[in-house]
Amino acid sequence: MAEKRLKILVAKLGLDSHWRGAMVVTRALRDAGMEVIYLGNQFPDAIVRTALQEDVDVIGLSSLSGNHLVLAPRVVQELERSGARRMPVILGGAVPKRDSKALTKAGVKAVFGPGTPLEDIVSYVRSLV
Amino acid sequence: MSSLFNKNESRRLGLAAEHWLKECYRKDEERRDSFITLSGIPVAPLYTPADIAEMDYADALGFPGKEPFTRGVYPTMYRGRLWTVRQLAGFGPPEETNKRLRFLIKQGATGLNITFSYPTLRGYNSDDPESEGDAGRGGVAIDSVQDMQVLFSRIPIDQMSVSLVTCNPSTAVSLFSMYLAVAEKRRMAPGKLTGTTQNDFLMETAVTVAPEPMSPRQSFRLSCDLIEYCIRQVPRWNPISYTGYNYREAGATAVQEIGFVIANAIAGAEETMRRGWGPDTFLPRLSFFLSAHNDFFEEIAKYRAARRVWGRVVRERLGSKDQRSALFRFHVQTAGVALTAQQPLNNVARAAFQGLAAVLGGAQSLHVDGYDEALCTPTEKAALLALRTQQIIQYETGVVNTIDPLGGSYFVESLTDELEQRVWDYLEEIEAQGGIVAAAEKGWVHREIAMSAHQQQCAIESGERKVVGLNCFHDECEEEEVELFETPETVKVQKAKLDRLRKERSQKRLRTALDSLRARCADGGNVMPAVLDCVRSLATLREVADVLRQELGVWRIPLV
Repeated sequence: MAEKRLKILVAKLGLDSHWRGAMVVTRALRDAGMEVIYLGNQFPDAIVRTALQEDVDVIGLSSLSGNHLVLAPRVVQELERSGARRMPVILGGAVPKRDSKALTKAGVKAVFGPGTPLEDIVSYVRSLV
Repeated sequence: MSSLFNKNESRRLGLAAEHWLKECYRKDEERRDSFITLSGIPVAPLYTPADIAEMDYADALGFPGKEPFTRGVYPTMYRGRLWTVRQLAGFGPPEETNKRLRFLIKQGATGLNITFSYPTLRGYNSDDPESEGDAGRGGVAIDSVQDMQVLFSRIPIDQMSVSLVTCNPSTAVSLFSMYLAVAEKRRMAPGKLTGTTQNDFLMETAVTVAPEPMSPRQSFRLSCDLIEYCIRQVPRWNPISYTGYNYREAGATAVQEIGFVIANAIAGAEETMRRGWGPDTFLPRLSFFLSAHNDFFEEIAKYRAARRVWGRVVRERLGSKDQRSALFRFHVQTAGVALTAQQPLNNVARAAFQGLAAVLGGAQSLHVDGYDEALCTPTEKAALLALRTQQIIQYETGVVNTIDPLGGSYFVESLTDELEQRVWDYLEEIEAQGGIVAAAEKGWVHREIAMSAHQQQCAIESGERKVVGLNCFHDECEEEEVELFETPETVKVQKAKLDRLRKERSQKRLRTALDSLRARCADGGNVMPAVLDCVRSLATLREVADVLRQELGVWRIPLV
């Protein structure tokens, strides 16, 4: 049986302006054979809408502006409201460790802080589906 | 033309060096397969006079304040005046940032450097739904001229130079207008104001992302409007600072950083000349903003090469007759991207070396990063240590006592030549894309930077490039040991002010002002006077930004 090709939505959260990390991760996921939709900057409702339309396996959020505690849980809530609570949400960026705990408590599956090796992200995404 | 060394002597030295390399130097004992700079330039085991045998002193180095400016843009450099200590500050509502600014001045800062929050830079008000989560982050929240007034309250802006990190032309026009309106209210003549607006279209369209960005062409137009306005009204202001620093942060190499800033400055200059201004009416006021990354000598060579290239471009391509036009004046920030969240105190050492490179490279002003900047906005403690780092370089190291102390180093001169040549080649590549504006429209700039970012990440992942505390020398169970900055409450504070402003202002006057801005956008005239009038009529930042978005259109950033 052919392995299913994973489909991931990558979005910059809110008004955060740093694209470097999101681009590098997008490329790594593609190089690993996954299909990645890069959405650019979006707000939680639009991220969830696109994720459902595109029927992705994982939502990957990127934030370095410090908006993660407000906006990332909002994505999880929007998913729940849309009846898609099982779609995993992961987040990467400048997130201090103390915030990671709050985020996972709010339903974010995994948080990748600064300096995470790409390999860790790729194998984690694989393990999700 | 005369070379620095006697021809026969340097030939003899060259042979001796080759002999040494063959007979004494043990290639098989080298620690690694290749030695390269951070930007991938090969580095030899040893440099001797033979490496710069062809160098003509007057042609290649000259004297400080004289062409080709390799050794510095001013005759006296740091013996006359030390660089401006310009530490970034900006967070929360303007009341809070004002306190930090006054703290920095009290501690010896000699210039101001203000960052604006994400919503402010992108043309949203703090109480907009889009701003939720980002209001007051990354910089100070400014929603109207009244906030700008609070930001500079009790600060003598007629006596110190103020850098406004207004990255995007689409909001630089509004934020600078607010600044001018504050000066006007305080009865300061615009001709007296000194400082810098960032105002770089690549910042808006290529190296940062946002929802609803403006297109390169429109953003470029607005940035030139601001340049043109300053020629007429604010002659001592630097209307633009080409943000090589941010290109580098996004992934560019040292060569790309300089190639892009110079290509960008050429485009801005040519457009301003097309509008009828002679080169020497504005070139002396163009300024640059560069990074100080980890590779110590490469960075020093980069600054020296940049001065040489710009000087020649100004004279040969832009037709300048005034030497002041040819001065590549630049601010430096130590590389944020080089900081690690792991073992954050290591960043104190990194930033100090980087700051030293900027100084040995002849910077006009400097920001040294706080050790906590990979995690958050700097705390007061981190900001103060960064300021003190600069003061230690200024008053303790002695490197300021003579000009361009590394001039004549066989290695530094060779590397300067190499970087210069690579920058000229890269400028040709950009030219082949149709110039910098077309290159950004096509997404070429984005692809170039993203490719470099990818290569650098691969070098770190493979361990080829070592980052202390990250891919080597890490503690297994290390915890963050630094106190983190808390952004002060912003939305509530700003919303209360906005509610009051919306109630108090004259709707009629506001509508008239916004309508004439709309008309300027359509007829292609300079928008600055109309924006200034909107700001005086108490338009909010978003109201002006919405007119610009509606009239000039939005764009999709061609990333991936």
